Order: sequence, then C-alpha cells, then structure tokens
Amino acid sequence: MSVLLLACVLLPLIGFLLIFFSPDHEHRIAEISLWMTRIKGVAVLGLLVAWAAHGFANFEYQWLVLYQHDDYQFPLLFFLDRVGAAYLFVVWAVFSAIVKYCRVYLHREAGYKRFFQAIFGFAFGLNLIVLSGSIDMLFAGWEIVGISSFLLIAFYRHRPQPVRNALRAYTIYRFCDVGLLVGTWMSHLLFHESQHFSQLLTMFDPDNIPPAGYASLSILSWLIILAASGKSAQFPFSFWLPRAMEGPTPSSAIFYGALSIHLGVFLLLRTMPIWSYHYLPRLIVLSIGVLTVCVATLAEKTQSNIKGQVAYASIAQVGIMFVELALGLEGLVLLHFMGNAFLRCYQLLVSPSIVAHLLRVEGNVDSDFYIKNNEQLTFLPASIRNSLPDVLQNTLYVFALQEGQLELLVKKIFWEPLKNVGRQLNAVSLWVKILAGLAMLLIIAIAASGVSSVARIYLSMPISLAMAVVSLSAFSNKRSPFQVWHSVALSSILAGVAVWLMVPSAWSDVALFFSGIIPSWALGVLALSVLLRHYNFADEPFVFRAFAETRPGWSLMLFLSFLGLVGFPITPAFLGEDLLLSHASSQHPWFAAPITVSFVINGIAIARVYLRLCMGRPVELRGAV
Amino acid sequence: MSDTAQHTAFDLDLAIAHIAHWLPSQGPIKDFIHHNTLHAVQDYPFHDGVAVAAQVYGAKSYLPLADYLKRYNERRISDQALEWAIAQADCGVYQEESLRASLFEPDGHSHYPPQSLANHGIRSAWLNHLEIDLNGMVHPVMFRLLSNFLDQGISRWAMPKPDERFWDCVLRLVQNSLLPLYPFHQPVVRQMLDAGPDQVILNCLGKIVGDETLYGQYLLEVLLAHPGWSGMVRIIEIQPNVLLAPRAISLKELLAVELACELAFIDKKHGHTFLQIAQLPNLHEIPLLERDAINPKVPLKMRVWHEAMEWSLHSELLLALREQAPVEQIAEHAPNVQALFCIDDRECSLRRYLEDIDSGIETFGAPGFFGIDFLYQGLDDAYPVAQCPVVIKPKHLILESTDKPQPDKSDKGESLSTLHFGAHSMLRGWLYTQTLGLAYALRLGWSVLRPGGHLPGIQSLSEVEAHGHLHLLRESEELNEDGYLLGFSLTEMADRVGGLLRNIGLTKQFAPLIVVVAHGSSSVNNPHFAAYDCGACSGKPGAPNARAFAWMVNHPQVREILREHGIAIPAGTHFVPALHNTSRDEISYFDQQDLDKAARHELHRFQHSMQHALQRNARERCRWFELGPKSHENAEAHRHVVARASSIFEPRPELNHSNNLYCVVGRRNLTRHLFMDRRAFLQSYDPNSDHDGSILVKVLSAVIPVCGGINLEYLFSRIDNSVYGAGTKLPHNVIGLLGVANGVEGDLRTGLPSQMIEVHEPARLLMVVEQTTVIADQAIAMLGGWREWLDNEWIRLVACDPVSRELYLYSSKGWTVAELAAGRPLPVASCSEKIIVGQTRTIPVHELERRQG
Repeated sequence: MSVLLLACVLLPLIGFLLIFFSPDHEHRIAEISLWMTRIKGVAVLGLLVAWAAHGFANFEYQWLVLYQHDDYQFPLLFFLDRVGAAYLFVVWAVFSAIVKYCRVYLHREAGYKRFFQAIFGFAFGLNLIVLSGSIDMLFAGWEIVGISSFLLIAFYRHRPQPVRNALRAYTIYRFCDVGLLVGTWMSHLLFHESQHFSQLLTMFDPDNIPPAGYASLSILSWLIILAASGKSAQFPFSFWLPRAMEGPTPSSAIFYGALSIHLGVFLLLRTMPIWSYHYLPRLIVLSIGVLTVCVATLAEKTQSNIKGQVAYASIAQVGIMFVELALGLEGLVLLHFMGNAFLRCYQLLVSPSIVAHLLRVEGNVDSDFYIKNNEQLTFLPASIRNSLPDVLQNTLYVFALQEGQLELLVKKIFWEPLKNVGRQLNAVSLWVKILAGLAMLLIIAIAASGVSSVARIYLSMPISLAMAVVSLSAFSNKRSPFQVWHSVALSSILAGVAVWLMVPSAWSDVALFFSGIIPSWALGVLALSVLLRHYNFADEPFVFRAFAETRPGWSLMLFLSFLGLVGFPITPAFLGEDLLLSHASSQHPWFAAPITVSFVINGIAIARVYLRLCMGRPVELRGAV
Repeated sequence: MSDTAQHTAFDLDLAIAHIAHWLPSQGPIKDFIHHNTLHAVQDYPFHDGVAVAAQVYGAKSYLPLADYLKRYNERRISDQALEWAIAQADCGVYQEESLRASLFEPDGHSHYPPQSLANHGIRSAWLNHLEIDLNGMVHPVMFRLLSNFLDQGISRWAMPKPDERFWDCVLRLVQNSLLPLYPFHQPVVRQMLDAGPDQVILNCLGKIVGDETLYGQYLLEVLLAHPGWSGMVRIIEIQPNVLLAPRAISLKELLAVELACELAFIDKKHGHTFLQIAQLPNLHEIPLLERDAINPKVPLKMRVWHEAMEWSLHSELLLALREQAPVEQIAEHAPNVQALFCIDDRECSLRRYLEDIDSGIETFGAPGFFGIDFLYQGLDDAYPVAQCPVVIKPKHLILESTDKPQPDKSDKGESLSTLHFGAHSMLRGWLYTQTLGLAYALRLGWSVLRPGGHLPGIQSLSEVEAHGHLHLLRESEELNEDGYLLGFSLTEMADRVGGLLRNIGLTKQFAPLIVVVAHGSSSVNNPHFAAYDCGACSGKPGAPNARAFAWMVNHPQVREILREHGIAIPAGTHFVPALHNTSRDEISYFDQQDLDKAARHELHRFQHSMQHALQRNARERCRWFELGPKSHENAEAHRHVVARASSIFEPRPELNHSNNLYCVVGRRNLTRHLFMDRRAFLQSYDPNSDHDGSILVKVLSAVIPVCGGINLEYLFSRIDNSVYGAGTKLPHNVIGLLGVANGVEGDLRTGLPSQMIEVHEPARLLMVVEQTTVIADQAIAMLGGWREWLDNEWIRLVACDPVSRELYLYSSKGWTVAELAAGRPLPVASCSEKIIVGQTRTIPVHELERRQG
C-alpha cells in the first residue's frame, strides 16, 4: 500500500522528468504522457482498492526524514483518508482525460513539450497536496501548483495580456500563500511535533484539552481561510480566476474549471478540526461563502464571454461549498466537489461550441432564443426593471459589470499602500541609503562582537525592519532588474542575519538557507548581465523582451534563479525558510510580520522582472548590430 | 486655446474616416467572409503594399528565409524561377550582383517582424516617458464595455436599453449610478462628459497631445492598439445589419469613451499637470505612421525568393496545361449524368475521382450560390441569412415551410443533453452540480475515448434535413416589413438560371440527370465553423441555393422562358440538388420526389459512383493528417474523417482551403486529366460562346472576390499568423457571439487561426483564363474595382489560348508570353492513388494517363 501511495505521488514527477529530458518530439512526449497516466491509473485504483480492503481506515505513511536538526524535523509524510481518496480519484480521472484530449488538441502546437511539462508539474504538485501528511508537505505542493499555474497562464508569451494576467494570478497566489506559510509556522508552534493531519482529529476531540488558546487558534484559522479563499478564488479574490483563462482551453479546464479551484476546499476539509473548533472562524467561512455566491452570481450575469461566465458559475458553486463546509456537511461537499469538477471541466472543453449552439441549435429547437425574444435582450430582466428605480438598476448593473468591485477593493487595500511606501523609499537619496547600510553593518559588527542575548534581540529588530524596507523598494523598482535582484537577495540575507542574531545557535540553519539563496542570486545576476549586455533596461521599462525565445538557455538560468530566490522547493532555501521561521518565531512571534511581508513582495517583484525580460514577441531590432 | 480654433484646424470626422481604412474589416463570426486582409494597401503594387502593412502593423512580409532555402533544396524552387524573379525585381546591375552574392546566405534576423509603427509611435514614447502601462489599464475597461454593449446573447443581462447608443449607455452608467463606473468617476472626466463625444475627444486630445498636427496620428495609434475591436465597431457602424440584435455604435463614440478613460487613468496617477505629447523631448525622432510608413522598403532578397517560389508553383500548372496530350474532340453524344459543383478547391479532387470512376459523368464548376442570390430562413432558423457572395446585396427572402406537424415547441425547459450551455451559478446550479455533475464524468470520458459517436444537438447544421419545400415563387409584389421581396418571379428565375448556365457554357447537350452539388462542412467545438462552409454563400452551407436552383430549372414555365432565350432543356432532363459535407465526405440528396423512373435509375447509379468517389477522396485528404490512418484502406480513411469531424478535441476537422493556389476558368477538358492536388478553384466557362468578353466579365466579377479573397486571407494569415491571423485557436474564448479573443479580456482576433493555415503554401492565386488575350482584355476593361487586384498583381492572371494553348501573363503594362520555370518535365501517372502514396507535402501537378475507350 505504501508503495502504491508513493507511486501515486512520484509518477507525475517521473513523467515530468522524462518529458523534460526527452527531445522536443511530439510523438515521444505523447507516448510518455499516455503511458504515465495509465500507470498512474493502475497505482491510484490499486491504492484505493487496498485502502478499501483495509476497511477505509485512515492511512499514514512516513517515507523518510528529509532533514533533522535538534527538535526540528522535516519528514516526508503521507496521509490517505476519505477526503484524500475522493480528490485522488478525481485528480487522476480529470488528468487522464485531459492528457488524452490534449494529445490531439495540441497537435503541432509550438509549445507541446512546455505544455506537457507544466501539466505534469501541476499533477505532481496536486498529488503532493492531496496525499500530504503534514502542512509542510502540503505547502510544498501548494508552491508547485502555483508556479505551474503561473507558467500555463503565460503559456502564450508573445502577447502581453496572458503575461500580465499570469502575474496577476501569481500575485494573488503569493499573497494568500502567506496564510499557509504563517499557518505552517503556527502549527509548528502550537502542535509541536504533532502537525500530522492524522493527529489533528484526536487532538481536537472534545474530551481533550484544546491544544492552543482561543486567540492563537483563531489566528491560525484565519490564516488557513485566507490561503483557501485565495486559491479557490473566493471573496474578495474572485477576480483573478476568469482572467487566468489565457492558456490553451484544456489547461483552463483542468486548472480553473476542475482541480485547482477546489484546492481551497481541500485545505479547509483537511484542517477542518482546527478552524471548526470555534464558532467565529466557522462564521467567517460561512460569510465568505455567502458573499462569494452573491457577487459571483451577479457577475456571471454580465459576463459576455463564455469562459468568464463558466468561471463565475464555478466560483459561485465553490462558494456554496464553503457554506456547506461551515455547516459541517463534509460528505455533501465531497459529492458537490466531484460534480462541479466534472461539469465545469466539460463546460470549458466544449465552450467553443457556444456560437454554433446559440445560433443554430438553440435557434432551432427552442423558440426561447433570446435574440428573437427582444424582451430578454434589453438591459435587466423585467422583474428588476419594473421594481427598481433607474438609479438602482444602473448601480446593480455597474456592480455586476465590475464584478463586485473586488479587484478595485483588493488593489486599494493591499497593493497601493505597499507601492506608495516603496516609491517613497526609492525616492530617498543615495546618502541616506549609504548611511543606513553603514548602520546595518555597525549593528551586525556589534552583535558579532558578543553582546548579551537580550541586546542581540533588540539589535535584530532594525535588521528585520531593513529587510522589509529593502523588499518594498524592490517591489516598486521598475527601472533596474539588477537592483531588484540585489534587493531581493539582500532582503533574504538580512532575514538570515536577523534570525542569527536572535538565535545564535541556529547558525547552521541560516547557513543552509544562504546556501540556497546566494547561488541563486549569483546565477541570476550572471544571467541578467549576459542577457542585458546590449540593452539599457531603463530606456523602455515596459517592453517585453522575449528572451525566452531568443536566448532560451540564459532565460532558463534566470528562471531557476527566480525559483531559488522565492524559496521554491528546488533549493535548500525552501527548508531554510521554514527553519528560520520556526527558530525565530518560536521565541519572538512579532518576527512573523516583517518576514511574511518580504516573502510575498520579493516573489512578486522578481516575477515581474522575469516576465518583462523573458516573455513577449521578438521583433527585428532596428539599427541593432 | 479656444474651442472654435480647435474646430477649424482639425476635422474629426475626416480624420476618423481616414483612419478607418487601416482597420481590419471582419464582421461577426457567425458569417465568415474571406477577404483581402490587407485591403488597406491594395492600391499599392503587391510587394509595396505588403511592405507598408508590415511597417504599420509590425508584421512579417514573407516566410523565414530558411523555409525558402529548404524548398530550394527540395527542388520545389527551380533555378529558372529564381532567374525569373531576379529579372522581375527590376534592380540595377550592382544591386543585382550583390543580391546574387547574398541570395543563399542565411541571416539570423529575417524571421522577426519589424517594430509596428502603430504601436511604437508617439503614444508609446509618451507612455514610456510617463512610466504608465496605459494599455494594460484602459483596454480591459474598454473591452468590457464594448463586449457587453455589443453582446449578441451570451450574457444574461444586456447592457444597453432598447435603441440606446453606446455613448448614451456609458453616460447613463457613469452619471446615474450610485457606484462609480471605474475610472470615469475621476472629476476631470466626469465634468466633461456632458459635452458630447465630439467635444470630449477634442478636450482629451488637447490635454494629452496638445499639438493639432498630431491629433490624427494619436487617434490612429489608439485605435490600432486594439485593431480587432476597432474594426468590429467600424463594421457595425457602417453595416448595422451584420448584427442580429441591433446595436448603435460608432468609432467616434468608441474614441470618446476610450480617450476619456485614458485621461482618467493619467489624471489619477499624475494629477492635472503632466507632460503632453507635444512637449516630448525627442518628438521629431519618433516615426509617424502616415509620413514614414508609406515609403516602403521592400526587402529585395526576400521578395526575389518569394516570387521564385510562387513562379515555380505556378509554372507547375502552366507546364501541365501547355504540355499535356491534346484532347480529342468530345464525342457528340451527351454524357449520362452531369454534375454541377461549387468552384471550391475542396471539390477539385472529388470531381476528378467521380469522372475517373464513371467516364459518363461530366462535371461543371460555378460559385456555390449557383447564381441565386437570396436571404434564406429555414424552418428551424431564428433569422434569415444571406446566401450569396458578400458583394451582392440580396433583395429576395425565401422561406421554408413544411406539411408535417412540428414538434411542440412550447416545452421551454432545458433539455438534459444541453444543460452545460447554461452557466448556472446559484441555486439551480447547486442542484445540477450535486446531482448531474457526476454524469459529466461519464460524458467526458465518452467523448474523449470514443470520438465520432454522436454528440447530441451540436453538429446538426450542415446535415440539415430538408423536410419542407422552399417558397420560391413570388405571390405578391408587396415588400415585407424588412423591405424584402418574398420569392422570385418566373422571369427573375429564368434570368438567374439562364445566366448561370450560360456562364458555365452548359446550353446544349443536357444529360438526363443533372445533380447540383452544394457543399457545407460539419465540425464540433469550432467557433470558426462559418469559415469552413461555402465561401460563395457568405460562409453558409449551400444547400438552399442548390435546392432553389434545381426547383427553378425544373419548373416548366421557367424552361419555357429559357427556351425563348435560346437554352432548350429537354423535358427528360431532371435536376437534383445535393449537399456535399466536405469534412465528413458524405453527401445527401434532396427533393427527389418528382423524378421519373429513368432518372431515378440514373441517380441510383450516380449515388453509387459518388459513394466510391467520396471514399477515395477521404483517403486523399488523409495524407495531410499526421495522426490519421497510414493504411491504404479507403473505408478506414473515411471512418477517420467522419470521426475527426465530430470529436470535441480535434481542432482541425478538415484543412479547408489550405491547398488553394490555382483558379482555372475554362472548359473541363483543360483540366480533366490533371492531378492538381486539390489546389484549384475550377470555374467552367466556354470560350467559344463568348465573343466580346461579356460572359467572362460576369464570371470574373464573382470568381475574383471569392477565390482571391480566400487566397489572400490564407496567404497573410500564414505569413504572420499572430498579426494578420487569429493565432492558435486553443486559447480562444468566444466573446459575445461576435468573435474570439485570447482569454477573457483580450482584443478580438481577426483572420484565420493557425490550425487552418499551417500547411498552406503562401503563394498568390494564379488565375488561368481560357480565352484569347483580346477578349480577355475586353473583359478586364469592364471589370471595375476588382481590376485593382490584377493590375497591382495581388492575383496573377494568365490567359491560355483556347486553340494553341499558348500562355500569356498579364501585367498592367500588357500581356507577355509566360516563360515557364519548371525545373523538370511534366510528371505522368496512371492514377491518383499512385501519386499520393507516401506524400505528406504538396505535390506538383501531374498528368493522368487516359484510359482507352
């Protein structure tokens, strides 16, 4: 059984690697993908049968411990229960159908290999999430899904629109990942060694003493809900989902119709004992669900494009799932999830038929066709027209047209303040920056020369503040990719230094963190200097430079550096990030604030530079040598 | 600056009219009319026009050099053709020398397009200066407003009230709503909106540009930043009836809203004072479109390569026409069956097989509306559609009626099989997803694993069953409420039928059975379905035309009038309409109830031959499908094309016109024994019956726009698919039933998707007319506007002498003897199957050996 479980997780990864190293040859790739889905099917069905044979008992399996240091350990831990089984099955079914579909649908498409790589990467992340046994594992899968989603939205990189929307979706993902990152850390803090999902249930058994106080449990619940509503495009983050429909139709179907959008629901199902323990978080989930249903239903009415309409319909259904979750109807949610996933997937796949359907079939069979029936095609439905005054009708329409103002709301509350602070920071004169830098060095020197631990903690405060400040300045820097790269690296290094100041014994973990960050930074700077040798970036900061097409090798290097710097689970920095958090904040919870700010912002700043440089359509350079 | 001064110096309407001709002219997607993508520059000679357009739109002009070199190495470009092309280029001695030296030198940059002047002019320089990504902010807002305003039925709530103009509608939402319509609530914009669109444009231009000489340029750059929507608005402005649900909009209103939106965003970021375009420091260095793009620089080397490729391909046909064994005089007896096809290149191979199977069958070609221009509303149609080329404005409306009882239409509930077309967001959706959602797992599995199974209710279009009869004979002279005549009078019928028969030279020797074969194409999951149907019927299946034609010509009184006009159709001759489904290679016959026994027997034999021909045709088509069957079984090939046309994951139900290259206007004898690889539009025309070119000019004025339009649209969509074409269809999203866009908030995509054109060889159409140059000249002189395409060489015209088979090439300077550049002698083969075996690219024209007897 454990072998089957491992196979379920690892097969997509093997598929990804095989495709990555196979030549760019359509038939070969198609062969690999089809076989992988078949083998995967055997593994999934085998696992489910074995699990059923064991009487549907929850099953936990620890493969190995990846890292162990003092009381901290990072085990590769897997867990299968009813929820996981349902998700596992749907993921496999939809994934195999999509692979089969795409084998022909993407025939002769320029990015055949790229597409299947991303799809397999996505499947790997998904399986990791579904079968993860702890929040750490889940977070790793979460990040992988985020990045592959980002790559698939920007699949058609010649056009600025997909690239822009990829960044938009990534931004929301990143922001909501804070919930999970901090949640991971809090679960370390609260449950110590027992962050296994398998133990959550018993821990919250009404007979036992709750493992944490009301306040900290509430905060943890809120964080989880934040992460879930971001991924599932719930209030107030709904707007990113329709805009993410930029990739090939089947990829939209699998991501935003079927699977990715239900991950938030999965997270909530997994952590149900935590957030359903108190009533307030339940109430929050309920109200998020209700608000989403209202906004999405209205927004769907005024979507004049078919994919947007399906997207909002799907969001509304997930909203209903949130309501069901809040009411504790787990079984219903699972059923609802499966139905919605298949229906939306199918709807998106056949969405190009809508023209033929509406103009021909519906015109044929159903005299209800509304072009004929002008009554229905004029402004709002009669019931609203007759009962509301003009001004309210218009208001309702504007509300629906602007999709509940959610994007404006999120922009105003979250991004603009950050941008403004960053812009002001960048406007600060060079002298101030140099002085600040010297001050930092001085602080570090003082700390290194040996002062009391209390003093070190006070000294670490300005350092962590500086870390956030540096991140912010990277965020609003539009002119120099080098500066962005330096700032992000600097911000990460400052984070390490701050932790070292707080917990001197953690120097080895800090070193581990640096061993991921510093090479990534160096690689990035090298790639940048090669790519930008003949250009002055600041001349045209908004031009997409298409290096992924003209200089694919160095673009890949830049991408790897990007992944390394944002703590993607390919370098030790991913572990290091987790370690730093657990070290520092176990004693100094305030530290969570600056480090999460920089975590989010670094990722966005660096992704933006990457897109500007590598995406776009190459043009003949006039006057270039 | 006072308002009056602005008015005198800058004429807004004139400027908009001038800008409009740069916009693409593709209408809503329900009708697909092939046209010259670069109509804006067709008053230039071909290469100059292409170079101008390349600069303006930032598009490629030719294929990458490597493609030409590859073709040269495969000997599909001959050395003679290169010489010919160099001679045509008309360059100086030194230039020629350096050209020859560099001809085979690969270069690294010829496959990237130039920077678009429209997108890198004063506007983008200014935005760079302000550090604002204005397109990224303004376009989503504008596209949202436009698509919701123009929507034809996707969204549940419509944006405009009845008869409301775009401007008034936006104004209502801005001024009379409690929630602000973002970003029009900026005070600076809100205050000026009352002044009306004209004044808003001028105000905004005054604030943004500041220099009246640059106003036109700025507006042009604004509109060309989203050519798809601008073009759509323009089409709807000048032809409001292209929409089913009428919408009142104009470019001026679009510009007014868009400029207000731009000003609002800039004001939000930079306040009231910001740098105007007129104050840009390097203003004079920025290229201006109308000043700098119209002096095109044609890349000589690429031009030579492209012409060499075209002339090599063209020579393949010309060689065959000149060299093929002379045809013995046709036997005096009439053939057993005659079949009238559309000129469409997809019928080229079917006709070849049909004649090969039964030498008693004679085929003709004519534009697939068969000379009957009308609006048609079938029994099941919600609205009438034009069934004729777009250049003709039909005046007659034909309705279909039936005697059979209709299924009860009162049941308005949704049928389960089409449930997924509604979005269902709230309660009903909850119910459906809970209960039926899982059924879609099965449905998804079924459609992915078993394509070709019948998907209920989607592909019913071109297989429409003819269950009623057409109301063709006009009963009253009254116009209906839309101003159309209901039906035709007998004289009108005789005129149309006689005109067509005369055009194709079928005025005597009628066979007892004449089948009129229209064509359509069925596909699923394909928003561009209209582009697959008959181009001469404005992208509809041609069945109604075939039925109308057959009904008219079978009518005794019509035949009486025809006899008076010199066309005597024997009483024993019957016309039967049919519809060829080009994607599934199936045929259905209509209206056979009046046939007598002999004709019925003939029809039976014909059906048998046709069935066989369709299977062989399917196999010939399969050689293009990389994932198709590789065996030599006709039946397997046929099963494959049927499955292909009805699987939801197949983006290429058929490859359409992607082989089009030639158009032959002449007798069938000229091409009957040639294998032309489905590349030729074949129009029948009898040179002997036309002494003054009056028939030829009629033929050409239908053939040139239809075939030339198809050819040029394919050509440019292939040359630069992301600018002139619609890009790959995989991410397309249907917007408001108007068109497709990438993603939810992209610009509308015009042109053809890459799946339709990827195997096309982008060469201009070679039109061969079987006529003497003298009579051809007379016809060309009467041709009117379409002559532009011939004179500027957007189409190549060759006259083939009916007697001597001498070939003359047309240019605006006169006729010259065509020097053929075929690198090898005319290949000969015994049958089509021998030629196509193992071939996956285009095949040169072959001569087919004739059978004895």
